[in-house]
Amino acid sequence: MLVQRVLVLAWVCLLGSVPLVADDSPVRFESDVRPIFKTHCFHCHGEEEKIEGNLDLRLVRSLIKGGDSGAGLVAGQPVESLILQRVVKGEMPPKGKRLSDKEIATLTKWVEQGALTARPEPEALPMGQEFTEEERHYWAFQPVTRPSLPGVKQLALVANPIDRFLLAKLETEGQTFSPEADRATLVRRLSFDLLGLPPTPELMTEMTADTRPDWYERLVDRMLADPAYGERWGRHWLDPVGYADSDGYVEDDPVRPWAFRYRDYVIRSLNADKPLSEFIIEQLAGDEVLNGALPHASEENTDRLVATGFLRMAPDGTGAGGVDQNTARNDVMAETIKIVSTTLLGMTVGCAQCHEHRYDPISQADYYRVRAIFEPALDWKNWRDKNARLISLWTAGDYETADKNNKELAEAQKKYEMDLDAIVNEVFEREVGKVAAEKQTLAREAKPLAADKRTPEQTQLYKDLPSLNVDRGSVYLYEQKRVADLNKANEKNQADIRAKRPPDNFVACLTEPTEHVPPTHLFSRGDFNQPRQVVPPGDLSVLPEPNVVPENDPHVTTSGRRLAWAKHLAGGQHPLVARVLVNRVWMHHFGRGIVATPGDFGRLGEPPSHPELLNWLASELVSSGWSLKHLQRAIVTSTAYRQSSKQRPELVALDPDNRLLGRMSVRRLEAEAIRDAMLVVTGSHSQAMYGPPAPVNPDEVGQIIIGKATRDGNGLLVAAANDDPDQYRRSLYIQVRRSQPLGMIEPFDIAATAPNCELRRSSTAAPQSLLMMNNAAVLRFAERFAARVAAVAGDDDSRQAEVAWQLAYGVAPVEAEVAGARELLATTKAHFEQVASAAPAEQKPTVPPAQQALAVYCQALLSSNRFLYVD
Amino acid sequence: MMTHSLNTPCNSRRHFLAQQGFGLAGTAFAWMLQQDSARAEAVRPELAPKVFDLKPKPSPQPPQAQAMISMFMQGGPSHLDLFDRKPALEKLHMQNFPGEIKYDNAAESSAKCWYGPWKWQQHGQCGMELSELLPYLANVVDDITLVRSMRTGVNNHGQSIYSLHNGRITGGRPVVGSWLTYALGSENQNLPAFVVLTDPGGLPVLGTDCWSNGWLPSLYQGTVVRPREPRILNLDPPPQLAGLPQQRYLEFLRATNQRHLAEHPGENDLAARISAYELAARMQTDAKEALDLSQETKATQEAYGLHEDATRDYGSRCLIARRLVERGVRFVQLYTGTQNWDHHGAILTALPAACKKIDKPSAALVSDLKQRGLLDSTLVHWGGEMGRLPVIQNEKNIGRDHNTYGFSSWFAGGGVKGGYVHGETDEFGHHAVRDIVNHYDYHATLMHLFGLKPENFTFTRPGGNGSLLDGQEGKIVTAMLNSPPV
Repeated sequence: MLVQRVLVLAWVCLLGSVPLVADDSPVRFESDVRPIFKTHCFHCHGEEEKIEGNLDLRLVRSLIKGGDSGAGLVAGQPVESLILQRVVKGEMPPKGKRLSDKEIATLTKWVEQGALTARPEPEALPMGQEFTEEERHYWAFQPVTRPSLPGVKQLALVANPIDRFLLAKLETEGQTFSPEADRATLVRRLSFDLLGLPPTPELMTEMTADTRPDWYERLVDRMLADPAYGERWGRHWLDPVGYADSDGYVEDDPVRPWAFRYRDYVIRSLNADKPLSEFIIEQLAGDEVLNGALPHASEENTDRLVATGFLRMAPDGTGAGGVDQNTARNDVMAETIKIVSTTLLGMTVGCAQCHEHRYDPISQADYYRVRAIFEPALDWKNWRDKNARLISLWTAGDYETADKNNKELAEAQKKYEMDLDAIVNEVFEREVGKVAAEKQTLAREAKPLAADKRTPEQTQLYKDLPSLNVDRGSVYLYEQKRVADLNKANEKNQADIRAKRPPDNFVACLTEPTEHVPPTHLFSRGDFNQPRQVVPPGDLSVLPEPNVVPENDPHVTTSGRRLAWAKHLAGGQHPLVARVLVNRVWMHHFGRGIVATPGDFGRLGEPPSHPELLNWLASELVSSGWSLKHLQRAIVTSTAYRQSSKQRPELVALDPDNRLLGRMSVRRLEAEAIRDAMLVVTGSHSQAMYGPPAPVNPDEVGQIIIGKATRDGNGLLVAAANDDPDQYRRSLYIQVRRSQPLGMIEPFDIAATAPNCELRRSSTAAPQSLLMMNNAAVLRFAERFAARVAAVAGDDDSRQAEVAWQLAYGVAPVEAEVAGARELLATTKAHFEQVASAAPAEQKPTVPPAQQALAVYCQALLSSNRFLYVD
Repeated sequence: MMTHSLNTPCNSRRHFLAQQGFGLAGTAFAWMLQQDSARAEAVRPELAPKVFDLKPKPSPQPPQAQAMISMFMQGGPSHLDLFDRKPALEKLHMQNFPGEIKYDNAAESSAKCWYGPWKWQQHGQCGMELSELLPYLANVVDDITLVRSMRTGVNNHGQSIYSLHNGRITGGRPVVGSWLTYALGSENQNLPAFVVLTDPGGLPVLGTDCWSNGWLPSLYQGTVVRPREPRILNLDPPPQLAGLPQQRYLEFLRATNQRHLAEHPGENDLAARISAYELAARMQTDAKEALDLSQETKATQEAYGLHEDATRDYGSRCLIARRLVERGVRFVQLYTGTQNWDHHGAILTALPAACKKIDKPSAALVSDLKQRGLLDSTLVHWGGEMGRLPVIQNEKNIGRDHNTYGFSSWFAGGGVKGGYVHGETDEFGHHAVRDIVNHYDYHATLMHLFGLKPENFTFTRPGGNGSLLDGQEGKIVTAMLNSPPV
């Protein structure tokens, strides 16, 4: 009774006061109720093979009919309706989950209004999921149409159509754009956004002096043509791709020595402004484009193969010991699907691996349709391990040389083993000498015998004198120097021989065997041990033309599945691909996507702030022939992009998150850009592009540094980071070892690699500050910076203050800054002088006090907000 | 009868909801809120990387230990000469061993039994028997559990150290300290949560793998307090910048950042970064303070052996460990030098010397923690990755070879019994035979003491959930606990 009264009261309260469904708005099953059931209930009541309690919630008529416990609901009578009683009491969903008040209110209201549907329900539901009209009409699944340009009041503020979309919205809110940023700010902003590097003082001077009206557009073109552009935007692309130079998955995290070729392919492609359509097709199906042509034949052919490295980026534990191989193989497929879907579709397809997607119209069958596209190349039943997938670029001559070399090596090894055996025999004879004379023969006879073939007497003999057990493996314990010398000589000899071998030259790529078309099964609950029906390859079925992928295309030697899907994705009609791509580009220019969740355009993602602008950008990308540079030129020459970032109180009050873009956002540099900026500012930047990455290693406390860390026998560091030029390569050329993130950049929110990074955070935390204050690599940059400044400015402290400031920020310091800097230089210099004069002769610092002081100032500049942020 | 709940005081969150959320009338609202912790909100798939932190987190079960100090005796102290007297060995001294021996180094091995020359005596109210090489430990036996049946069963240093640190014989996995700080965070946000104190003579044999976060976020890697300046890399300034230069640097930085902020009023992130530098400076001060042993009384310093050459180094580190735990650090790991206990030869002189360095400080740590009321909540572990064989290695310069099949370790505090001996080895001390404590049993036990359930203690990674026990069936050693689980 009590419960009944509480229930009634609860409903009275909910219905009376929850303003979530406006009173006059009709509540309909398809649009309001079904999403609640889909999220919380369908899993047991409709989707699975076994329907719990025989209650199917997917159709209103089956809901009314109810299940084992009786009728599910009585239209118009919420209190009498069983499912509502169960829901309000918290009995359903089970296991202590509970619907929110808002959801309960919606259900109640719906029943009260008579449990109405938007249209007559279908006669029968097909196996699996039926999408409603509402789901099919979701904005992201609609074709991209070029929107008409909205009218704006302040036409003078419109530099290109982008501005119209933004300004129109601002104007309806009674707002407008902020004024243009000053020239120095613009140059610095542009330089970081397009190149990921700070502008040089020379460029700053040149730009400030340029009086031509189109100085800005000229600068944009110049930067788009700079090779550093491909490095910057390549790194952006590598985030969702999950680029790494190691396999991950298992503890020892094996290195992927050939991954760099894919990274280089990305950089080259972006620099060449390769149409993104082609870029996508090559990455998904470059091998099928080649269609059997040799990768050696041309650079273009090699590139097509290298491009498929995209599909080899997932963490990979196949072939590793102690790993269940079937699990590892299926994990590679699942992670590859996640990488592909978050990069190109912006949908969380992976959520449908085990059951129907809880929020979006992606059926479990859809997941396996996508999987079927990759199954011929990543067939878990006929797995090819990583090495078997490498393709060599060796020529016939290379192979011949290598053959000869192998023979030479085998001979050297044979000779070594004979020498070693000679020592073993000598030691054995010596040990036998310790045995009583009458038993020596017995000991010799036992030597070649396996333990279980020896007589009890022999066994006892070996047990009493364990040192008789000498063999190749243990002989070093008896004859340490001789064996060590022999080993050393042998190693040197073999290394010399190996040095004559042609260097390995592989491509790590995805290919598929010819005419190999394994079936793809839907796995019940995602478990590969519970295969169900065979699923054909295809795109998500809620999208237009989902069935464009053939089972086996006769025109290519392989199945042609990836090629067909890639062409479909890049065909210009796909509703998601272009939107997802332009959204990412926008995000990197403004700090936030038009859809703020770049990897999730579904119901749980953020809705677009400017849907029409998103459409326009997508359509512009496609109609420009998929030119990324064209798109970016439009973006960075818009008035919106050129605004000042200064906060205006009335704008901030209206739009604290700056979604309307009534000003530019102040953004912190990404981890790599911070280090790269230090490289440039300190004059350290190595210009070397491409090639194998600079290796990383743990230093003596476990912090990951660049370079080989050489330790003595006690583990203490002998030579840490040496001064080889690898130290000063851009951050995207530093090895990305999943288990060993580079210590100097890691605290600044590097890209996740398990498996990929849809969105980077931008955190502010004390460890970042400590790093700037004390990290050895940062201090080394400060010292190099000081040396560079001293070389220009001599020992005039005002001049030093100015030169360093100019280098770090691209502008001249104001008077107060110079005064502050001079004071810092003077006090620290006095301190260092005092320390130096007090120190005994052999401990005098090698750097003069003035330069030590200058390094402190330089370090402060590198640590400052002005350095770390772009405004 | 329904209205009484109108007057039920609401906690602040519920009150806030009542004010801001749904505006529901009292009765029904209060009833519904009884369930609000279990509300089935839509669970968003992770869009941004998950954020990890070191904020203190409550143990799922009531914990007995809140902090742990592990004194790792790398190299393998000879249990036969310190903790585990074997009369049978005395009888067969210099005679051939009557059973099977698992040798590690056959070249120098012999089959002769060896009984060390050291005297044994019972100590404390419990009558625990120790050799004369550990006179200070003898004073605290009533506070420790001595386990004579430790076992890892992999006969070399590396694998055995890995087993005890991370549960398996290979590297790349998270170690105990990483797991504890991942699960429980730290009570002190200004000091590292997991501190490693290394020996001035060098790193442990496995180097930085001993404090690896493995596949846990790198936040949970151990932070090394080095024996020389800068004591904590990235936290302490290098010597030449300590003091005035860094102070001036921070002042200048603050001023220039303030001017920059004035040009960008309202940018919260810029202001937050100014504060982050201040927090960083506080962390430095706190760390410096924690490592400053001059604040200790002369009596305490002497108890830890800071005035004697042999014990100064290890004593300082034991004292630092206590100061860290006192300040809320969750896990402190101390290492001895690489070869301190690996007595393949010269055991007659080297073992007493090793004991002299370690015994006084480690016993002092137990009494000091107890005296300050910290022992009940601090689990102390003392032990190596192995013991030694009952037979001679190297007859010309007597030593003992490795033995991971049976060895001794001791524990104190944090819910562990005092004056108790657990388990035993066979009559020669080669194999643990009764109440065996494998490395995974040790891990299950220490997790239990921290209120963690071994099977729930996991981290999601590719290929499934990773855990410290990694599927091995660790048994909680209930006999050594003050209040065993019910």
